[in-house]
Parts: sequence; structure tokens; C-alpha cells
Amino acid sequence: MAMTWFSAPAPVARRVRGYFAPVNRSAQAPVLFDPSEQGGFCLNTPPSPWIDLGWIQEFTRKAGSRTAAVLTGIPAGTLEQVRETLEAQVSLEFLSWTKLTMALATGSQHMNLLAPASGASAAADGAQAAPAVIPQSGSTATFIALAAADAARFTANSIVAMDADYTGQTGFVGSPVSGAYVRQALTDVDYIRRVTYNVAFVSQVSTTGLTLADPLPGGVPATGAKLQAATGFVDREGGSFYQEWSGLFVMEGSQGERIFYYYPRLQTMVSAQESVLPLDDKNKEGLARILLKGQFLALPVTDPLDGERVVCYRSFLPAANALI
Amino acid sequence: MQNAKDSFYMALRTRLASINPERTILLRGAVRPGILVEEAEAPFSQLPNDVFVLRWLGLGVDLNLASTMVAEQCEILYQTCGTQSFGGLDRGRQLSEMDEEVTAMAQPFYTPKLNYTATPPAAMLTKVFWDEPRFSPIVTQRDRLSRSANLMVYSYQEQGE
Repeated sequence: MAMTWFSAPAPVARRVRGYFAPVNRSAQAPVLFDPSEQGGFCLNTPPSPWIDLGWIQEFTRKAGSRTAAVLTGIPAGTLEQVRETLEAQVSLEFLSWTKLTMALATGSQHMNLLAPASGASAAADGAQAAPAVIPQSGSTATFIALAAADAARFTANSIVAMDADYTGQTGFVGSPVSGAYVRQALTDVDYIRRVTYNVAFVSQVSTTGLTLADPLPGGVPATGAKLQAATGFVDREGGSFYQEWSGLFVMEGSQGERIFYYYPRLQTMVSAQESVLPLDDKNKEGLARILLKGQFLALPVTDPLDGERVVCYRSFLPAANALI
Repeated sequence: MQNAKDSFYMALRTRLASINPERTILLRGAVRPGILVEEAEAPFSQLPNDVFVLRWLGLGVDLNLASTMVAEQCEILYQTCGTQSFGGLDRGRQLSEMDEEVTAMAQPFYTPKLNYTATPPAAMLTKVFWDEPRFSPIVTQRDRLSRSANLMVYSYQEQGE
């Protein structure tokens, strides 16, 4: 009788795919990943609300947890071990520069450079912005309905930011991701749109509104949300805000097996930094790829299964037909 | 090993038929996708133009694993003189098109291993996988441009192989 299984050697993987999802800072709720229910997802379309950050490289996990021996007897011998501290770090390099990868690779707020108002005074994180416009009813995650005069202020192939006006509140601001923590009231009405992650690329402009290349991360524009054009992004060395994300990293083996590393809570632990990768041996001091470097500290969660405090879950889904 | 070679060839052949259905070859009286295995055809005095020729080269075996891993080096050779309608002046474009087809055929970098000696082909337990193609420089010989792409094709030996 023919065998229906094979002895699988160690997985052979080409690269690592990264996905992030925003932790609900107000509720202190990380995003769950259940490999038993969601482990078979198509790598190009992760389950909601995970956001695909593409392939990453130099993915390194470092466990920083320390154990200590409980000694007994004369001379002392180890009776048992205890875990003294719980810590893990993750570092990686993103292979693209996007709003999200830039934000993840910086240690503080990540801001949108809003299109400036005519004649506005210069500022390091963007001048006073041109006034925001109000989306009309009928807007969706991929189409923003606008009055014709408002639509004429936008151009195709540009970036837009959608969020509420800042009205003097303190605490976490920004939707669907907390982009900053406001400690004392500010005066900039556009502040939330400066720090919001609810940005998109405009693929087409018509007299009725804007068609977006990708859905807005926040979905259908919320009541009270307004729209502004952005020209790029800016982050700063310094600041006191720490972003927090749930992270999921996937290695897919040559036989279809999958290894998942799920970190419920990750906070950036270093300031913005880049690494330089020459395109080839000939270009050691010439053409080089500028990669965003991310380094994260994993924070603990309490597993409701048994009350243990953990920082990471590693899962393995074996290949079909593989002997375990 | 032969099952891995057959599976790799059939995967590329199926993908080529989808990527560029116009690239065909008349071989032994039959029109087929324009890709063939050199060692499975009568010897050529000269490689045919505008088709891909797979040539198997090096071989490596790793016995220190739960299942023996076999690595086989495959060279994909191709050449063109361009088209008659453009007097061959499009030979560079034609070669670029073939470069792109090699890149597209190679993805995804795996295929199920099948036993093609059975009819219909029998699915086996593992997958064949390979690395990214490494392209050689263009060789110009009069009006003919040629190039090759090298891949390492990996597979696990199964019971009965």
C-alpha cells in the first residue's frame, strides 16, 4: 500500500510577510489572530483588520525574558527555575515606504503633510493647511462624494486624509488608529487629520467626487469627518507618544506549511532609522536601496485560557501529508 | 528525481500556454507550447529560435534530512532573430519578451509533484520548488540574440522514487 505521508524536514521559506493591526488604545484591546480559524488565509488578503505590509527582510526575534534558579541545600543546588522578567524584541526591515511602514518604523507620532493654504507661513511639520471639505452623503470607503467645487480642489494621483476636526479634546485622537495622544488642548483644527492613518491615494477625480485606489482604512467616512489633500508624510525625532500595534509575521514553507508569529502588543522602541542596502556589488558606494528599519518591544497580555502572561504566540500549521 | 523534473517542466509549460498562447512549436507533428526538454527530444544541430529549451545540469543530494532533498540545476536557454515582418530589427524586443516570460513562468516558485508515468498523472505527497532565475548576459551571434536563465529546482524524495 502506498504511503500517504512523508517525513517533512525543517521548513524552507523564501521570505517573511508582515501584517499589522492597530491596538485599540482607549480600550487597551489588541487585535486577535486565531491560527486555527484564520491560518489558511491568502497572504495577499489578510483577515480584517490586519493590514498587509508586504514582504519584509532581516526579521529577527530576540527573547529577553530572564529566568533565575531557586537554590536550596548546602552546597546549593537548583530546586526549580522561575521566570524573573518577560520581554521580547522584534526587528525587521520594510521593503517599501508607505504611510504605515514609515509610521511603524518611527518612535513617535507620524504625521501627514497637509497641502498648505495659499501664503501660509512655513512650519517644519507642514504649514497651516488649506481648508478641509465635507464629504457628501453617498460616500463609501473607495469613493468620496463631493460638491463639484470641492472636487475641483483635488487632483488625481494625490493623497488625501480623512478625519474629524480637532475641537480641543485631550487623550487619544485619530480614527481608526490612534495617531497621537494629546496631553493639553491644541489650537490646530486640522491636528487630527495631521496624525490620522485614514489616508488614501486618489486614482480619479470627477465632478461628483474622488475615486480611491485603495479603501480608506476607516471605511465609510464617519459623520463629522472632513477631507484634506496631503503632499507627503513627516515624523520627528523626539516626542512622547508611543504607537502600539498588534503584529503578525508569516513564513510559508516550500511544502505549504506555515509558521506564524503573533505579537498582540508591539511598541516601537527606537527612533526613526534607515539601513542602506547597495543594489549590487558594483554599487557598494553608489546606488543603494534605503530601507526603513523597525525595532519593536513586545508587551505582555494575559492569556484568558489559563491566566498566563505572554508576549508572543508561535504557531505551526504543518504541510499537507506531512508526518508530525 | 525524474518526477520533479517532469513536474517542473509541465508547470512551466502550462504557465507559458497561459502567459503567451502564441508562443508555440511544431514538434513531431504536433503544435505545443514553445518550451521543450532538450534531453527528451532528438538531438538538435542548432537550438530552435523563439522557444525555451530546458537543459538539466548539476545535481546535489542531501541525505541528512528526514526526507532526502534533491537539488537539480536547470538552465533555460532561448534565442531569437526577431520577426520577419520587422526584418529582425525587433530581436531585442523579442528577447525582452522572452525574459519577461521566464520571470512570469517561474512564479509561483513551486508546483505539486506528479508522477507523469501514470495515466492520468498521479499526485504525489510533496511539492517541487525552486529559486529565482539568474539571467546570463546576452550573447550576440550575427543576427541572433541568445540568453539563458539558471534555476535550482528542489524536491524531496518520496517512497518508491
